[in-house]
Amino acid sequence: MYRYDQFDARFVAERVAQFRDQVARRLSGELSEEQFRPLRLMNGLYLQLHAYMLRVAVPYGTLSATQLHKLADIARIYDRGYAHFTTRQNVQFNWPRLDDVPDILELLAGVQMHAIQTSGNCIRNITTDQFAGAAKDEIVDPRPVAEIIRQWSSLHPEFSFLPRKFKIAITGAPNDRAAIKFHDIGLMAQQNEKGEIGWVVYVGGGMGRTPMIAKPLNDFVAHKDLLAYLESVLRVYNRFGRRDNKYKARIKILVHEEGLETLREQIDSEFSLLCGGDLTLPEAELERIEAYFAPPPFKESNARFNLARLWASDGELARFVEHNCHAHARDGYTSVTISLKPIGGVPGDASAEQMDVVADLAEKFSFGELRVSHAQNLVLPHVAISEVAEVFQVLKKAGLGEANIDQITDIIACPGLDFCALANARSIPLAQDISKRFGAVARQEEIGELKIKISGCINACGHHHVGHIGILGVEKKGTEPDHHWRGGERRSGDRGDRRAGSGRERGFGRH
Amino acid sequence: MSEKQITVKEIITANELVSGASVYLSDAGHWLPEMQKARVFLDSEHSELERQIEKAQNSTRLISLETVRVVHRQGRIEPLRLREKIRATGPTTPRQRPQQILAGDYVSL
Repeated sequence: MYRYDQFDARFVAERVAQFRDQVARRLSGELSEEQFRPLRLMNGLYLQLHAYMLRVAVPYGTLSATQLHKLADIARIYDRGYAHFTTRQNVQFNWPRLDDVPDILELLAGVQMHAIQTSGNCIRNITTDQFAGAAKDEIVDPRPVAEIIRQWSSLHPEFSFLPRKFKIAITGAPNDRAAIKFHDIGLMAQQNEKGEIGWVVYVGGGMGRTPMIAKPLNDFVAHKDLLAYLESVLRVYNRFGRRDNKYKARIKILVHEEGLETLREQIDSEFSLLCGGDLTLPEAELERIEAYFAPPPFKESNARFNLARLWASDGELARFVEHNCHAHARDGYTSVTISLKPIGGVPGDASAEQMDVVADLAEKFSFGELRVSHAQNLVLPHVAISEVAEVFQVLKKAGLGEANIDQITDIIACPGLDFCALANARSIPLAQDISKRFGAVARQEEIGELKIKISGCINACGHHHVGHIGILGVEKKGTEPDHHWRGGERRSGDRGDRRAGSGRERGFGRH
Repeated sequence: MSEKQITVKEIITANELVSGASVYLSDAGHWLPEMQKARVFLDSEHSELERQIEKAQNSTRLISLETVRVVHRQGRIEPLRLREKIRATGPTTPRQRPQQILAGDYVSL
């Protein structure tokens, strides 16, 4: 995993000190809310329906066991004993008090984490494949490049006040598990005819009130030119993106209104000025960063799952292996997805105790590494196949043994009206109802793979546009008639969704 | 009485600065966490409602000031919007208590 260099450590420490002072001045009345609001948002602190919410960045969804233990501590000491993992691979605390937040940020800084750029019109957390660095189908581990983009985009003076927020996703595998075509910029690894690895660049994707699939902007950008190319895209967006209407400010609208060719001309023109300049990435620097992501010391093993035998001897474990274990690049290993979707549970929530259990498992069985998936689950990326049964037993005991990845009960849901100040309808109770209704093992097996995604408002944090079944909550006369969508699919990336009509009325107090 | 005949009234709400908790202006002029103790403004009291909002806006202890449309139903204050019902009582599932304000029973300006 990447470790902070002196610059990272200093700027995070400085930011904590700055925010501590800003909070003190707010509490003393020296700063008004109007003055303070942008400052707290720059540090990931939102005001939700019931309380503040602190959104902590998990860079490219990669966590260490030490970091997860610290998140558990924070949940216990400063929150209500749980945390919520999000569709952008981040983690949120729903109940912090303003005067505790500087202490929380200091604890996070101690494990090389922060909440900077998890809000505001800047470049947000870079997201990637949850199996990055482990997946069998991977061309290249995208994390070193994701880290370089993180460093380039952190506190970038030119891009701290963009027309609107900007999200970048990157995948090193041809099977897109990072939903790259639903980001402002999506990057997919590509090998050219010379055998060199570079990046296909997509632009203008996104969900929200105007869902759009990103368009291919450049079919090969070499590693060394990637930052200059990204800078060119951001400069054009910063210059021409609409600032008069926040609903039309994302780059997807610019692409739509100006046309891809016009935009490409502008970007190419900018790139011609930047290419070969200060932003050219030296090979030595890429290698230095790659060293942080070197494969862990795997043991030689030719262990394989024998599912037929496993089904005969231990059906429960066989089902877990079938649904929750993903093919690993290294023989004898697998990536284990830990479902945060127990039947009838809150999608994406984990208690402090559960986080400690998972962190302990990571230490013991996965070289101290963890991932957060955009489907709101956790991943132990490198587990020896011979140890999966032991891991499964520990997970089961902690209420984390649900074998339902990509099944009907593995529902993505935003926090919805139970927490979010923007939501129109609740998402969590609906997810729980569906989970309970279809939770029986036989029924899930009969249905097969089915992705349900629920958003409590048009902003689409629950990715409802790209589910097999998407559900959008709307408000009508104080009740929650849900609008159902069907037919979206992120993996193929080129199928739009279709509206299927209104759903049932949901009265308050049923749950 | 049908829904249309119920008189719609307003209450004033905000979030307390330190905890972020929902609070409501009471008859006594305190800001309390209990919506049922909120002062209810009739249409005829619009200027008084505006005066109270202006007073609260000058406070450093309150943020996100809003008015909420409510009705009286069986002697209880009931917001018209589900959002405000949840905001007053806490997340619905799993049921969680609302955020607690700082020591003391109310926010005094």
